Amino acid sequence: MSPSALLPLCAGIGVLALPFALSDFWIFIAIEVLAFSLYAVSFNVLLGYGGMLSFGHAAFFGVGGYAAALLVKKTGLSAGLAFALLPIVAMGISAVVAAIVGFFSVRRSGIYFAMLTFAFQMLLYTVALKATGLTGGDDGMTGLKPPGALAQPLVYYYFALAVVVPALYVLFRLVSSPFGYTLRALRSNARRVQYVGVDVRAHQLATFVITGAFAGLAGAVFALSSGNVFPGWLNWTASATPIVMAVLGGVHTFLGPALGAAVYVVLEVLISGRTEYWPLAMGVIILALVLLMPAGLTGLVRARRSA
Amino acid sequence: MSSVLELLAQQFAWAQDPVVVARQTLAGVSNGMLLFLISAGLSLIFGVLRIINFAHGALFMLGAFIAVSLTGRVPESAAGFLAALIGATAGLAVIGIAIETGLLRRIYRAPHEFQLLVTFALVFILGDAAKLIWGREDHSVAVPALLGGSTQALGLTFPTYRLFLIAAGISVAFGLWIVLHRTRWGIFVRAATMDRAMLSALGVNTRRLFTAVFALGAGLAGLGGALAAPVVAVGPGLHVQVIIDAFVVVVIGGMGSVMGALVASLLVGIVNAFGVLAFPGLAVVLTFACMAIVLIVRPWGLFGIPE
Repeated sequence: MSPSALLPLCAGIGVLALPFALSDFWIFIAIEVLAFSLYAVSFNVLLGYGGMLSFGHAAFFGVGGYAAALLVKKTGLSAGLAFALLPIVAMGISAVVAAIVGFFSVRRSGIYFAMLTFAFQMLLYTVALKATGLTGGDDGMTGLKPPGALAQPLVYYYFALAVVVPALYVLFRLVSSPFGYTLRALRSNARRVQYVGVDVRAHQLATFVITGAFAGLAGAVFALSSGNVFPGWLNWTASATPIVMAVLGGVHTFLGPALGAAVYVVLEVLISGRTEYWPLAMGVIILALVLLMPAGLTGLVRARRSA
Repeated sequence: MSSVLELLAQQFAWAQDPVVVARQTLAGVSNGMLLFLISAGLSLIFGVLRIINFAHGALFMLGAFIAVSLTGRVPESAAGFLAALIGATAGLAVIGIAIETGLLRRIYRAPHEFQLLVTFALVFILGDAAKLIWGREDHSVAVPALLGGSTQALGLTFPTYRLFLIAAGISVAFGLWIVLHRTRWGIFVRAATMDRAMLSALGVNTRRLFTAVFALGAGLAGLGGALAAPVVAVGPGLHVQVIIDAFVVVVIGGMGSVMGALVASLLVGIVNAFGVLAFPGLAVVLTFACMAIVLIVRPWGLFGIPE
């Protein structure tokens, strides 16, 4: 067996066996890593493949989280049914919101696109904050729980795995398809692609909606694991998270952002457990990252290999 | 139908009361002037450096904290307050020079996401640094005795400090206009917002220009923070809300336009002041709605230049 086939196999076995080596606390963290991996990869399909820097991707993660919370707490459906509908509902609602935000945002590119997505995210943030009757306002929605055995971290871990891995596979197929190659071409030269006859805005909008839906799915998976959603999920400071994860892992690989998500989440746990100045530490890490290793962790490995 | 009208009439009953209208207008205009001091710098920096400085709110906050420290020695004295204004402006200009030469200069050619991350990292670092230096509790700054009390005009009573804020804002706006439109340096700045490469090709030292513009913007933010210190709670969360308001202003007014920043600051200040009366709790949504409408109808802002 070639080494290149051995690595994914080992990784697969490792991911499956992982929770047996961990305490409940760290299983909880592993679930967080899974959710944020999907979140970061979905973001990077926009940024790394499409060249679209969204500064409002946290909106869809948050909408997915709130959709999950509302489904479980407010619809009055039985716990089992609500949970079964969870992925569909979270993705559906996030996709609808992404379609509206995207419709206005993809008309612009570059930094203006970032600002538009940012503006809509802040609009959604204020809605989450002010629609107290629906969202609990500043207090957020707490006490969310998956039904039955899924409430155990170990079982929920496999549920998260069963959601995240197929979702990543779908995204991978997407970026490897003609659709994905058109997207990459758009990043390089949108005007040329337009001359070939591609509807650039429609293509970007479709990508925006798909990645928004998967970010929503990630938010829903995380919401039921952490047990709560807060308006802070939609606040502007939250929008830096997927960017940091993607850049940390490397934006030019498909799974780099997932690696970035894992490193970020574990760092946050380790550092915020020791000091209340986690933002300060993160700021320094971001600066070091941007100034010293702009190609990310995967870039570091590649440089080592080619050296 | 008539009941709807009655409800609306109730909701807007305050509009009949000239005292309330005058008070809210004054509050709106004076808050707008504070917003202008932040957003003018934010807008100039974007116009010239093409960087969205998310840390601009943090610079404003540092200005307010410096005012706390400088006025703390001789509260209510005019000299102490003047020292605070000068100290905050100069201090932030120096910090601005350090940030531009130490960090931003390295990333002008980097992708947008790196630029966003760097100013974002600064938000976290400066926010926590302020907590380390000034603590977590809210501070207040006494209005200097000279500007305390209230002033009678047009049969109405106004807090004198609010009138002072308006005068200060007008003076700064006028001064900026002189600098930008009546000095050689101002011509360079305005030229840089249009075509940096051309300006550089004409032999202007754009490196130094960038540093100076960032220092000017930071200094204005510091001055704004010091001026705001007597009317806001000076605490570690101050910058998070301030930057959002400034951002809304700059987007509405047009990135890079000082005139736009002035008009939009007053607009947002007044919308906020009356929104609080007309739609309690929803005032924030109003300003975001303003921004969304402007972005959709005139994406480059009221006074901005289309790409």
